[in-house]
Amino acid sequence: MTGNYRLIENKELQETLFHYRVHPGMDVYVLPRPGYQKKYAIFSTRFGSIDNCFRVEPEQEFTTLPDGVAHFLEHKLFEDERGNVFDRFAALGASANAYTSFTQTSYLFSCTANFEESLQQLLDFVQEPYFTEQTVQKEQGIIGQEIKMYEDHPHWRVFFNLLEGLYREHPVRRDIAGTADSIAEITPDLLYRCYNTFYHPSNMAVFVVGDLDPARVGNLVEENLAARNYRPMGAIIRRHPSEPVAITRQRTVQELVVSEPIFLLGFKDMSVENIHGRDLMHREILMELVLDILFASSEELYNDLYKEDLIDENFDSEYSADINYGYIMIGGETKDPDQLYQRIMEAIAKFLKGGVSKEQFERHRRKILGSYIRRFNSLEFIANNFLAFRFKGTDLFQLPSILHEVRLGEVLALAEENLDPDRHAVSLIVPPGAD
Amino acid sequence: MLEECSYHYLPNGIRLIFMPTDKFKTITMGLFIYQELTPKLAASNALLPSVLEKGSRLYPDYLTLQRELENLYGAGIGADIMKSGEKHILTFTMETAHDQFLGENGRLLDEGMSILGSVVADPLVVDGAFREDYVRQEKNQLIKDIRAMLNDKVIYSLERCLSLMCEEENYGVYRLGRIEDYDFIDPSGLYSYYRDLLARNPIDLYVIGDIKHDKVIEAAEKVFNFPRHGEQMKLPATEIMRRIDKVRYHEEEMLINQAKLVLGYRTYTGFQDDLYCTLQVYSGILGGFPHSKLFMNVRENAGLAYYTHSRLEPHKGLMAIASGINYDQREEAREIIDRQLEDMASGNISDAELDNTKRGLINQLRSKQDSPSKLISFHLDGSIGGRTYTLEELTAGIEAVDREDIKAVAERIKLDTVYLLRPRKGGSN
Repeated sequence: MTGNYRLIENKELQETLFHYRVHPGMDVYVLPRPGYQKKYAIFSTRFGSIDNCFRVEPEQEFTTLPDGVAHFLEHKLFEDERGNVFDRFAALGASANAYTSFTQTSYLFSCTANFEESLQQLLDFVQEPYFTEQTVQKEQGIIGQEIKMYEDHPHWRVFFNLLEGLYREHPVRRDIAGTADSIAEITPDLLYRCYNTFYHPSNMAVFVVGDLDPARVGNLVEENLAARNYRPMGAIIRRHPSEPVAITRQRTVQELVVSEPIFLLGFKDMSVENIHGRDLMHREILMELVLDILFASSEELYNDLYKEDLIDENFDSEYSADINYGYIMIGGETKDPDQLYQRIMEAIAKFLKGGVSKEQFERHRRKILGSYIRRFNSLEFIANNFLAFRFKGTDLFQLPSILHEVRLGEVLALAEENLDPDRHAVSLIVPPGAD
Repeated sequence: MLEECSYHYLPNGIRLIFMPTDKFKTITMGLFIYQELTPKLAASNALLPSVLEKGSRLYPDYLTLQRELENLYGAGIGADIMKSGEKHILTFTMETAHDQFLGENGRLLDEGMSILGSVVADPLVVDGAFREDYVRQEKNQLIKDIRAMLNDKVIYSLERCLSLMCEEENYGVYRLGRIEDYDFIDPSGLYSYYRDLLARNPIDLYVIGDIKHDKVIEAAEKVFNFPRHGEQMKLPATEIMRRIDKVRYHEEEMLINQAKLVLGYRTYTGFQDDLYCTLQVYSGILGGFPHSKLFMNVRENAGLAYYTHSRLEPHKGLMAIASGINYDQREEAREIIDRQLEDMASGNISDAELDNTKRGLINQLRSKQDSPSKLISFHLDGSIGGRTYTLEELTAGIEAVDREDIKAVAERIKLDTVYLLRPRKGGSN
């Protein structure tokens, strides 16, 4: 019985999260949300597209993977000897899905009935791999179509072309699904090798949210795992090539059928590797404030660019930071990418000289707090983000208290470090024949 | 009914729909102005929300409005145009965090409502017209948006298929109207058209959150107190019975890697039809879920596609089947799709397909109660479709569907238009 649990309280949100640790070392989080019809569960492993070179202690040899294995494995877990896993969720009236990111693979379902059976189903199918030559071959066709769909998707391409321009070595520069050639190298043996490493429960976590009883959920997960007799596993050592400060190339241009050019400007963050836990979240919040103060629709720059027809309402900026990579991206659709580039670089230079007013800082801080609270309407948002933050060693529930701690004086120093003109690159999608 | 829900008419005839609930962290408001969808008016309808949001009397420019919203803890305002059946709906939304999470005491409802009211009912007017530069700027932005539909090939191919299919009907016009019509809109004509809309067209105001009923009425009556005609305009019903003489084929070529095949069907079954629930089940079995026939056969068994599904436009009674495939495999894909429709018509449907689809649909219905925006759109569908269903009615309706009902719906469904977006010869693929 999981008698032991820890409570994680969040005063601002008036939420209490139950945290269980079950054998052999897996975290289970349960958030009761009275009044909700839906229950949502997510089961995630720290295995994403960037985990392409690893060993398990005490092994000495590293295994290197072709691109796209984590995503391929995600697809293949939905099939076993008994057939298609979607059918079993469908029989319970539950809706199942999965996704793979740079750093994790997640399996999930939502339901309004048969919750405990559905949770068993989720735990079972993720823990029961079944890969054969024939099923792997068939999946190469389906994922081949998925890759083709993304090849035609300009906003997806502009994003990966920019990461390729920023990063010389780090695998974040490569598409999560891989390529037609790289997935052709995938075999059942390779999938089992990855499965046996990354799908050990000590590398995984569960988050469940809805109108439910935490102790029952904790027990159900513990018993499901206990029956499988897991043995402790050595630590997973991931190897990433060291990333030079210099970028790959400053400008990447691709032709695709688009109504007007799509522009993305990026900066590479070289410090994230040495920043962890609360400090990493502090950095994320501060960087969000920097970008908001520079580029939000409440500021002069956005309104000038909009009036001059250089941007539309989808113009956006974001900062993304994980354990060993981080980047800033700014852009959108524009008729004149060169002019827009000029204006953004000038605005950054001016900002670094001129600074930030107290009024701006406090206004954007209020906005981040309110937007954070609003997002807690969504069970999917809470569960998905809690685990994503947890895997990089930070805590979604800490956001309000860290937001409260950040100081106006820190803004410029971080902006200066992270908006360094020496580490920026541009990615462009242009209509055929335009460039 | 979903949540407990109350109706109240403001003195000027606007209908207030209030759903009290303490499960959300927010206060959500939505104001909807209903108009008929016609090619002639579509551009004006689309332009109005954008122009109104850019400047009101109290917040004369976008920057001022956005700063006000940030100070209100990042409240979000939305101004958009929605196309649903042959209705065109001007849509204004406001969402704020609830006071109780911010140490505030009830001001977010009043201030949120007041900003929403400023944008909708107290526009920036100069000499009896909207500001000329705002109108010009927003025309330009919307024309860009119309052209940008091209950027996402999945959306583009679906829009193309349905608009070609309905090119002689009002439904055929794009949500943002036709580019050429923007030339003829002038700031004073647009303003007087808007005054007509405010005065004569049906308007609904939704409020959802943990608030007292009388506070909501008080805030709404204070803000939305502009005069309106006693008699509201009746909007025509959506045409759903158009006959098909022969199937039409369209192919378009583009520099792309993946071909998109979209098949457009008429179901002759609208929102008010007694077979409406059956149509939901029909489309669900055919292609609404990962357990459906299309996913299992086109994707899982034949490996021809990553995405392949059917979707309904419930108010117009249309169904579209869309798949992303290799151009060389288009005939194979088409054969498999046709076979699934034949199986639907002949009742070749397993118990699991039938039961699982019903459970899946009911799960989707119940889940709507957990999102303020889905609660609103569920209720709105009743107003658009001219028939109000409660959640219980729809659940019971879905549960009661049997193979005979499905056969009856299958007999109505007719293929109208085949649209193929194909990679240009000499390109890849």
